[in-house]
Amino acid sequence: MNLYEFEGKNIFEKYGIKIPRGVVVRRGENFADAYTNLGVSNVVVKAQVLSGKRGKSGGIKFCSSAEEVQKACEEIFAMNLRGQYIAAIRIEKKLVIAEEQYLSITYDTNKKQPVLIYSREGGMDIEDVPEEIIVKQWIDIRSESIESDIPFANELWQIFLKEDTRLVEINPLVKTTTGEWIAADAKIAIDDDAFFRHSTEKMRGVLNWETLEPRTMMGRLPTDREIEAKKIDEGEAYYRGTAGKYIEMDGDIALILNGGGASIANMDAIIAEGLKPANYTEYSGNPPREKVQALAKVVLSKPGVRGLWMCGVVANFTNMKETFLGIIDVLDELKPSYPIVVRRDGPESAEAIRLVEECAARNNLNLKIFNKDMGMSESAKIFSGMLKQA
Amino acid sequence: MSILLDNNTKVLIQGMTGKEGQKAAGAMMDYGTQVLCGVTPGKGGQDVVGKPVFNTVAEAVAQFPETSVSAIYAPPFASKAAALEAIEAGIPFVYIFAERVPIQDTAYILAAARERGTRILGPSSMGCIVPGVARLGLIGGPKEQADQIYQAGSIGIISRSGGMTNELSWQIRKNGMGQSTAVHVGGDLLMGTTYADLLRLFEKDAATKAVVLFGEQGGTYEFEAVEAIRNKEFTKPLSIFVGGKFTSSLPEGMNIGHAGAIVARGQGAAEKEAALREVGAMIANNYEELIELIKPFA
Repeated sequence: MNLYEFEGKNIFEKYGIKIPRGVVVRRGENFADAYTNLGVSNVVVKAQVLSGKRGKSGGIKFCSSAEEVQKACEEIFAMNLRGQYIAAIRIEKKLVIAEEQYLSITYDTNKKQPVLIYSREGGMDIEDVPEEIIVKQWIDIRSESIESDIPFANELWQIFLKEDTRLVEINPLVKTTTGEWIAADAKIAIDDDAFFRHSTEKMRGVLNWETLEPRTMMGRLPTDREIEAKKIDEGEAYYRGTAGKYIEMDGDIALILNGGGASIANMDAIIAEGLKPANYTEYSGNPPREKVQALAKVVLSKPGVRGLWMCGVVANFTNMKETFLGIIDVLDELKPSYPIVVRRDGPESAEAIRLVEECAARNNLNLKIFNKDMGMSESAKIFSGMLKQA
Repeated sequence: MSILLDNNTKVLIQGMTGKEGQKAAGAMMDYGTQVLCGVTPGKGGQDVVGKPVFNTVAEAVAQFPETSVSAIYAPPFASKAAALEAIEAGIPFVYIFAERVPIQDTAYILAAARERGTRILGPSSMGCIVPGVARLGLIGGPKEQADQIYQAGSIGIISRSGGMTNELSWQIRKNGMGQSTAVHVGGDLLMGTTYADLLRLFEKDAATKAVVLFGEQGGTYEFEAVEAIRNKEFTKPLSIFVGGKFTSSLPEGMNIGHAGAIVARGQGAAEKEAALREVGAMIANNYEELIELIKPFA
């Protein structure tokens, strides 16, 4: 999960990385008052979004009066910033910059360990900085601290370790004209799978992940369905199968797919048929019936759906009967009249297929079900044909 | 012959008393894998599927020094401690089943393994299978299903996706071919055993004539494979598919920051394909094509 700049800066401050004095405002608040209370004349007004390139898109404005701040905030909240949702605005002191540098720590998948990346030339065009200026230093994950002449290197390492991040980045890392080092921006991505050591009950770092506001990378607030689906994989049995992956999309074809890799390939396959997904969803890892039922409920609750394609591989250990019972529960309740195509195989597939066929018969569903003898892409074609006749 | 597993593989299961651990023990034994014993802290002295359970890996290894693999069926939050225990006890090959192991824990496990020369498969791996000989994990599913999908043959399978390992193997079988060894490397950011590691093993394996690889977007692992081919560490035919074209239709910046771009400079999807083509790998446009491309070499 990506953090907003203001969340990142709160963390920076707690680890001794200096940040510009500032305040966060939300939609509907009094922006001019916030500025006046800050007591700084020259400020930067910054849109809080989950990914980069906001500077080049007009999401950062310089102001020096309450009127200017008011206008800038109104403009930013109204703007389309590369399709990203603007959650808040941070108004902060404008720095008098002598140098802009770059510092980050992330995982290098090649060396399979963290790498610290430092460049004495940073800022908006960091991706164009010549390779020879960039310093990379690989860090043994077992190091409790690191020694370095680079400003804030060890502070950043402490954040990387204790907050369970995938990425911590300061760009630009600013040296002011008075010689002070300060983080003008903060980018942090946390590793969702480490949530169990960052809760109210157990706090390894300074950030309680349970209190973070819901967010999605889809450039909007998460939908009610997405929030509902996310809850499926929470709680004590969080690791017993995954059934909480749901991204709501603009189309009208409901999808229940299986497996990380296969589901992505099957998204490609359904789009290749000229169909528009209403969602991206996959369950895998043998989730219990209740989890799958909750997921199917979310998927099929979307208005305007005109077909359902359930396509998965030959499962290794996901019990097809158990998981399908969860879907049958929902089909029995909703009795949809649109075309449904199922292609799936795995443990107890014969029994699962029999149960689905019975469900189709008693509810008069327009449903076809196939096992592994049918190809996955082929089943997409059959589905597409049924939609044309419907 | 085969890679990773053979007739002499002897398995210890950490977390054998748990639900998934018991299931895995049964599935492995059904398929002919030699399971020696299990380990669950505090449950020493019990029996699971007729095999003894110990409190620690050290105790288990003292009793069964011939142990060659530890299969870890601990929950994700306990996988690091379990893996470190196995590495410390000197077991040469550690397989990790759990999904959702924190990246930092995986990095820690891999650092310890590197020092001791331990092979790690996973995390979040369904395991690997040598048709008719042995399997590690539940790969293939119930024996009856595994027997329908897997038959000894000349194609090596490497997959980033557990389900696709089965699916590809099934397509191979349907097209009249068989598998030498099928391996699910796991879908995590950091993988213990990489594509390149497996290609080097398949190169030395007399039973393997060609390899199919199902990859996913992201990471730099394909470039290691390119290096292995360029250095003649792998010289057999290879067909490869990198899934996930639809993800390019999602909003940009699913990953924030520039660090990823700096680490992987010049290593995007297009560069991956070009580099693979340059060293002679066959690029499939969809996963069905993987099978067509490899068929002439079986």
